[in-house]
Order: sequence, then structure tokens, then C-alpha cells
Amino acid sequence: MQQRLPVLICFVAGILMFLQYFSRHPVARTVFVSINDYWQIIFAFTLLVGVAAFGKSNLRQIGRGIDTPYRFIALSGLVIMPVLAIIGGIKIDSPFQWAFEYMLAPMQATVFSLLAFFVASASYRGFRARNLQAAVLLGAALIVLIGRVPISEMISDSFPKVTFWIQNYPSMSARRGILIGIGLGSMTTALRVILGIERTYLRGE
Amino acid sequence: MMDRLKTRWIIFGGLFIVVTVSYLLRIKFESTASPEVQKSFTYLEELPEGSVIMVSFDHEASSLPEIRPLALAMLRHAFKNDLKIVGVSLFAEGTAIGYRLLTETAGESGKTYGADYVFLGFKPQQISAILGMGESIMHVFPEDYLGTPTDEIPMMRGIKNYEEIEMIVSIADGALTVHWIEYVGGQYDQPIMAALTAAMITTYDPYLASGQLYSVVGGLKGAAEYENLLGRQGGGNRGMTAQTTAHLYVITLIIIGNIMYFRARKAGRE
Repeated sequence: MQQRLPVLICFVAGILMFLQYFSRHPVARTVFVSINDYWQIIFAFTLLVGVAAFGKSNLRQIGRGIDTPYRFIALSGLVIMPVLAIIGGIKIDSPFQWAFEYMLAPMQATVFSLLAFFVASASYRGFRARNLQAAVLLGAALIVLIGRVPISEMISDSFPKVTFWIQNYPSMSARRGILIGIGLGSMTTALRVILGIERTYLRGE
Repeated sequence: MMDRLKTRWIIFGGLFIVVTVSYLLRIKFESTASPEVQKSFTYLEELPEGSVIMVSFDHEASSLPEIRPLALAMLRHAFKNDLKIVGVSLFAEGTAIGYRLLTETAGESGKTYGADYVFLGFKPQQISAILGMGESIMHVFPEDYLGTPTDEIPMMRGIKNYEEIEMIVSIADGALTVHWIEYVGGQYDQPIMAALTAAMITTYDPYLASGQLYSVVGGLKGAAEYENLLGRQGGGNRGMTAQTTAHLYVITLIIIGNIMYFRARKAGRE
């Protein structure tokens, strides 16, 4: 029963959502809207689970004395932001908005921008023409790197055209292949879940 | 080991200097609009006054330096042409940013909240939110970002679902635009336009070629091109110099790296 009930719910919901796609009948629309509402409610609870797990994990590590100052900062962020929003609101000049814009956004952008330094270092160390395939990849990368900045037009009118060709033919054909593979894989997995063949979401059994 | 560390610091220091100096020099590079940017611009330019577009801020704060110029250019254009904007966010972090960008650009154009634009905020579970808005936007967002009941907002009274929206503009730094394309484009036949970070452009090329995506404004270069079409300089053009020199710096490093590699290989053979 522990297995059958969730599989049955999954089957009914899956089939209903599949069938409603082909119908504009009011009943089909009502079913669709109801399932959609439940979906959002369930997802909202998963956010709460995430917050609880984050808090629990950090408190446990603090108890063990691992990275205590950093974990206090992480937990204080989790508490301070909702408190600021509740006390001062979320309008444009609120403390919440200030903390978001002048603390969170610059910190995230800083961490993200570090990528540029690692890309520069990796390009020096790793991008080598070790064989023919690597040389072709390297050549294409150099052309696209130049083609994506305005200076390419100053060097030659052909640069943007060649960049466009690389992006729209060799690169896109590879990407299309991947997308078709993902699509077929998603369909197969969805069918397996709906029909109860795939049950790993039930405690991995 | 020390040599490797030293080389790394030289590379890091070089990039820092190159980017800093190029910001200080303020050299201006001319950017001719690519066909995609031109297509996006022309579409918004030709939309009749009062048309409604939905702008979705589907990005994180980390990509703000690239996203901000893109969003500002497109929002300024929309407000300049008296288009009405419904703002939403499929990413929690995009919510505060979206609200700020909308309020900032609306303020520049003298637009009024509730009459010319509205920000509905964030809804968890992107696919569900996207599909739900196809039936009723008010059902998915009973209140706007500031807590006002959506049915009390004058602009929203005539907007039930996607049928009243001319175009969806997804400003994204990841794969969220795919949800708009697959669910809204596919199920509701709604045109989708994307403003993307440069790293994401190739991901969307197949959708663009198939016509599932109407157009793309991509990266800082796309922002610079859009700003030029709009006739108002901004962060896109300012950042273009730094991006150009950083690209040239990386190309130089690749060339030097390969010269060193071939010299070492030759020396090994001898």
C-alpha cells in the first residue's frame, strides 16, 4: 500500500495532465488549474523544507565548531532579510531593498566575476593545440572570441560572418543533437514514472 | 610549484590591470546592430502605443553587471514608446532587481505604477506559474509585489491571460527562458523574446533558428547595440571596452600558452 498509493496518484495526475493538454473543455481547464494550484502549494512547502535543512545543517556544524564564524554569518542572513522585509517592507527605499542591492548583489557579482580570472588562467594552461581536433577547437574559439567584440568589425567584415557561421552551423547542429536526446530522454522518463515502472522517487526503491 | 603560482598571479594581475585601465581610458567602440538585436528593437518600436508586454526577470543577482544594461535599454525603449509593462520574476533573486529596474526606468519616463506598469513579483515553481498565467494571471498572482490586490490595479483590469499580452520578454542568465518557450510558446502560441547573458546565447540558438524564440538580445554587446539603436548610451557601451580588452588579453594568453607548449615539445624531442 505504501508503494501503490503514490504510484496510483502519480498515474492519475500524469494521465490527467496529459489529456487536458488536448482539450479546451471547462472541466479540463478546472482540472488543470486545480492540479497547478496543488503543484505550487507543494513546491512552497519544499522551500520551507530547504530553509529548515539549511538552518539545521549550519547549527549542527556550529555545534561541532566547524567554520563557526561563516556559519553564523550565513544564518544571520537567513534571519535578518525576512526580519527587514517584515519591519520595513519591500518598497524601493526599504532597508530590505538596500541590503539586497548593496550587500547581496555586489557579493554575488564579485564571486561570479572571479570566473574571469580562472578563465584567463585556464586559457593559458589548458587551451593547447595538442592534436588536430584540439587545433580546430582552438581556431574556432579564437574566431568566436574576437567575433563577439566590436573590434572584429575593425579587423575585417568577415569576422562577424564567420562567427555567425560557427555558431549557427557546427555549434548549433551539436546542440540540436543534445536537445533532441534530452527531449527523448525526458519523454521516456516521464512515461516510465507515469506508468509506475520508474519508482526511484519512492525512497529509491 | 612556486613557478606555477607565480604565473597564475601574473595572469590574474594582468587581467585586473587590463580591465581597470580600459574602464579608465573610456575608449568607445562602434557596435553595428546584429540582425537579432535589430529585430528585437524593431518589434518594440512598431508595437502600437498602449500595447502590453510581460517582462520576466529570470536571473540571479550574480549576473547583474551584464543583465542590468540589457534590461535598462529594453525597459527604457518600452516606456519611451508608451508600452505597458507587466513585470514578473521566476527567480526569487530577480524579484527585488526587477522591481528596482522597473521603478527606475518608469521614474525616468514619468510613468505611473498601476497605470503604466505593474510588478507582480515572484511565484515559486516556474512551470506551474507559467502555465497558470495562461488561464488567469490574477489567479496566479492575486496580489502584486507590494501587496495590492491585483484586481484593484487599474492596468490589470483588462488583462486576463496571455491573450492580452503582445510579447513576453524573458531577461535571463540561465535556462528559464526555455520554460517560456516550451510551455507558453508551445501551448499558448505566445511570441517570446529573450535578453540573455553572453554565455547563454548558444543554448538558445536552436530555438531561435526554429522560430520558437522570436529574437535574442545577447550579452553586453547586445546591450551596447541596443543602446546605440535607442540613441542613449549606458552600461553596455561602457562595458564594451573592458570586454574587448579582456577578450584580447585571453587570446594573447592562448597564443603565448601555445608557443610555450610547442617550444617545450620541440625541446623534449631534441
